[in-house]
Amino acid sequence: MVKCEDIRGRLTLYLDNELQGEERGMVEAHLSDCESCAAIFTRELNFLNAVRESAPLHVAPPELRAKVQKILSEGVSGVVPETRPRRASRVSWVLAAAAALLLLLLPLLVWRFKQNTTPSGRAPSHFALMAADTHLRHMRGQLPLEIESGNTQQISSWFLNKVNFSVKLPNYQESSGQDKLYTLEGARLVGYQNDYAAYVAYRMKERPISLVITSDSASHPSGGEEIQAGELTFHYNAIDGLKVLTWSDRGLTYALVSDLEERGQQSCIVCHEGTKDRDLLEPLKPH
Amino acid sequence: MDGLVEIVEFSQAAMEHIDALYGYALTLTRNVAEAEDLVQDTFLRAASAAHQPDCNSNLKGWLFVIMRNAWLNEVRHKNCGPKFVDLETGGQTEDQAQENPHVVYLRKLEREQVRHAIESLPDAYREIVVLRDIEGFTYQEIATVLDCPAGTVMSRLGRARGKLRKLLSTWQPKSRIKAV
Repeated sequence: MVKCEDIRGRLTLYLDNELQGEERGMVEAHLSDCESCAAIFTRELNFLNAVRESAPLHVAPPELRAKVQKILSEGVSGVVPETRPRRASRVSWVLAAAAALLLLLLPLLVWRFKQNTTPSGRAPSHFALMAADTHLRHMRGQLPLEIESGNTQQISSWFLNKVNFSVKLPNYQESSGQDKLYTLEGARLVGYQNDYAAYVAYRMKERPISLVITSDSASHPSGGEEIQAGELTFHYNAIDGLKVLTWSDRGLTYALVSDLEERGQQSCIVCHEGTKDRDLLEPLKPH
Repeated sequence: MDGLVEIVEFSQAAMEHIDALYGYALTLTRNVAEAEDLVQDTFLRAASAAHQPDCNSNLKGWLFVIMRNAWLNEVRHKNCGPKFVDLETGGQTEDQAQENPHVVYLRKLEREQVRHAIESLPDAYREIVVLRDIEGFTYQEIATVLDCPAGTVMSRLGRARGKLRKLLSTWQPKSRIKAV
């Protein structure tokens, strides 16, 4: 006897044509006999039909069709296509405006650069920039969390099979008996280097802190001010008013982003003070 | 790729997917100009790789993979900020024109509500709903496009539809008022 709950668990797969053979037949046979499951099925079907009937969401404009047709006829036949003009007119006036603005703001920029430049003066890495952008987008509500949990184990498990590296979130506070200074909020995936990176959201002093993790092969920390702490090298950057700290450890690359008043490396100390890592973090303290 | 016939066949087959790719580009970029650039980039890359043996087995899926990779590259290099989509809806179809105008009007309202609800979804949810329910890809094809396990597709799709259902249920009363 097939149970209703077994069938209901398969309804989505059935509606999406993902069931074959015996399994499909089993669902169909049950639906013809069970009124309550049939009612759920009809409701789901109506919902999906309403969504599917909204297609197409967009229709390519005729000018775009013409451009693509040209690309295809030239590209496939072996003629090297011309470099595609990227909205030339718009780009040119934007560039002109940007150049004018740059001239006007040059003294201010020079002053800001002198204020903010790191000792090494090297530009932040793509990974650091991506992490800062991700942090800002999350703060604006554009990147909602895909899992909301304060449990490190649950978050680590959620990333299993979603990213091609193992995400193991430590729980410094519990393991060290430290007062609860920060809270884990949740996580999501973010696109990076044709793959996914792991995004983990924390909160400390009512301010959000982002930790972005990718594999060492996708990104290696570079740029910014280098700070040596034990065997680890941290790279500190100030990006758009945010403090971004990147480092690599055991095959993974991390970026920690916050707008806390402490400098990036000092925000590490805030969380880790009193933990077994305090010796390692000693070099990060302000002098 | 050999011969004029194959060239023409490939071009025609690829052109059939331009609306789907344009829609997906808007889903990814949320910006009309960037979406148009992304569509051209995709076809440019496809044209130069059209001789590859795997391109014809699932041309649509192959084009979507190219588009997504091109977009991820673009994002990586640009570190772009927020984008705002200029929502355009498709024109009236021939079938609609032959129906009762009142029915056509109500159906159009419903479709626009669904479209707006899809556009309101968070990025990852919107993307998966577009791939499954608008473009009709299978779970495995979506997994290939997104480069993730099929299990992730299933769970994310479930959450996305849950969110979509919620959005649409809050808009239901409006549609009833308009339908009276």
